[in-house]
Amino acid sequence: MHRFYLPFLLLMTIVVEGVATDLLPRSVMAQEWMIIPHWLLVFLVLITVFFDLEDTYFSVLYAILFGLMIDIVYTSVIGVYMFIYAIVIYIIHGLRKMLHANFFVALSLTILAILLADSGLYIIYFFIGISPLLWDEYIVTRLLPTLVANIAFFALLYPFTKNRLVHWSLQQFDYKK
Amino acid sequence: MAFFRRKRLFIILVGFIILVGLIGFSLRDREELSTFEQFLHDTVGWFQSIVNVPVEFTTTVIGNIDDIKNVYQENQVLKSRLNEYKNLVYEVQELRRDNEELRSIIGKTESINDMQPIQASVIARSPEQWFEQVKINRGEQHGVKKNMAVITGEGMIGKVLNTSQFSSTVLLLSGFDRSNRISVYVNSEKINDNVSGFIVGYEEKEENLLLELNEYDTELKKGELVVSSGLGGVFPKGLEIGTIKEIVPDKYGLTQVAYVKPSADFEKLNHVIVVKRMAQQPEQTEGQTVEEGE
Repeated sequence: MHRFYLPFLLLMTIVVEGVATDLLPRSVMAQEWMIIPHWLLVFLVLITVFFDLEDTYFSVLYAILFGLMIDIVYTSVIGVYMFIYAIVIYIIHGLRKMLHANFFVALSLTILAILLADSGLYIIYFFIGISPLLWDEYIVTRLLPTLVANIAFFALLYPFTKNRLVHWSLQQFDYKK
Repeated sequence: MAFFRRKRLFIILVGFIILVGLIGFSLRDREELSTFEQFLHDTVGWFQSIVNVPVEFTTTVIGNIDDIKNVYQENQVLKSRLNEYKNLVYEVQELRRDNEELRSIIGKTESINDMQPIQASVIARSPEQWFEQVKINRGEQHGVKKNMAVITGEGMIGKVLNTSQFSSTVLLLSGFDRSNRISVYVNSEKINDNVSGFIVGYEEKEENLLLELNEYDTELKKGELVVSSGLGGVFPKGLEIGTIKEIVPDKYGLTQVAYVKPSADFEKLNHVIVVKRMAQQPEQTEGQTVEEGE
């Protein structure tokens, strides 16, 4: 049964992302900022750090599956989120092997993941002609607000998920710590 | 180790090829979504309509508290307007009766004004803000088709981008570009002939629609109403789009470009109406002359 918790929670994260902009107050929305909820990515980083073992790639698999879902449901260009999320989570997975799993590592990996993913998205969308912004405009109006908002989400999510993920990891892979 | 690295590089390259293939596939002009995409849209849409209920409730309550502050002033203004409207209602009734009689005399029953509304709720908004899209909880099963106009009580907000069985995606006016223009006219009081033009895009900075006028020497004024003309063959006639804010000559000085402030608010959307144009579309009326363009 516990095998289905993670996919279900990830699906719900995607669903909630769709109403995320409604939850922001109007004064924030009226600014020129673009705040993109990368909640799925934040969750996937937590899964990489606390759930996956060194030689299991569940987080990358989920990144591909649910990235594709974001592409289909929320954008009209398929494949971009799937590719970017998968690559970024793969990099994070590689870095995680060298580090201990604690709060600060998770936080810095989240920041890195968001920076990589969002700029990757920008580059691809810029080349297909969907993003009208130039690089410096992009950093001010989208990258920084998005980073701050997602770090806030990370701080909110961390206390609820950390112990559960470790617990599920123990259940699923059945190893002794 | 060297073998492993080569394998990794290989996987990334294959991934890149898949990415380019998928982008090419989705940027094509597709008539309808594949079954898999429709299934995914509907499944996620079902969850979204559940999650949307408490979220909408809270945002409405907060919005209401904000509104209470201005209730007194608004009430005063509304009271003074009410008397004007009484006369207007009478006038409209007279005109409508006249119109019906005249129409029955000339035997014209169909008009591009006619439309059939389909009520829908917005269940999600694309978190990727470069795609100005929202999802609504009505789909093909309820009669929604691709390219139908979507309006709120205030004015037009966009068109249906694609449909699945129980939900559809709406492209907002703020995401329009030259490939999906709207034929409009400006409802001017002074000039007898209505000035026509096309909505060709959206300007992000000032949040205005760009209206390319067909004439270059019009004397339009600020505040005049821009309405869809129905001549494009897709949208019905008479949907309010916005009011004129400023008129400038275009880059080459050949025509005029007007900045139009949209009537509807794209930020907060809850309930929308999908309008189905009752008059046949030009493609379907073969052999007949269609009143199209100039």
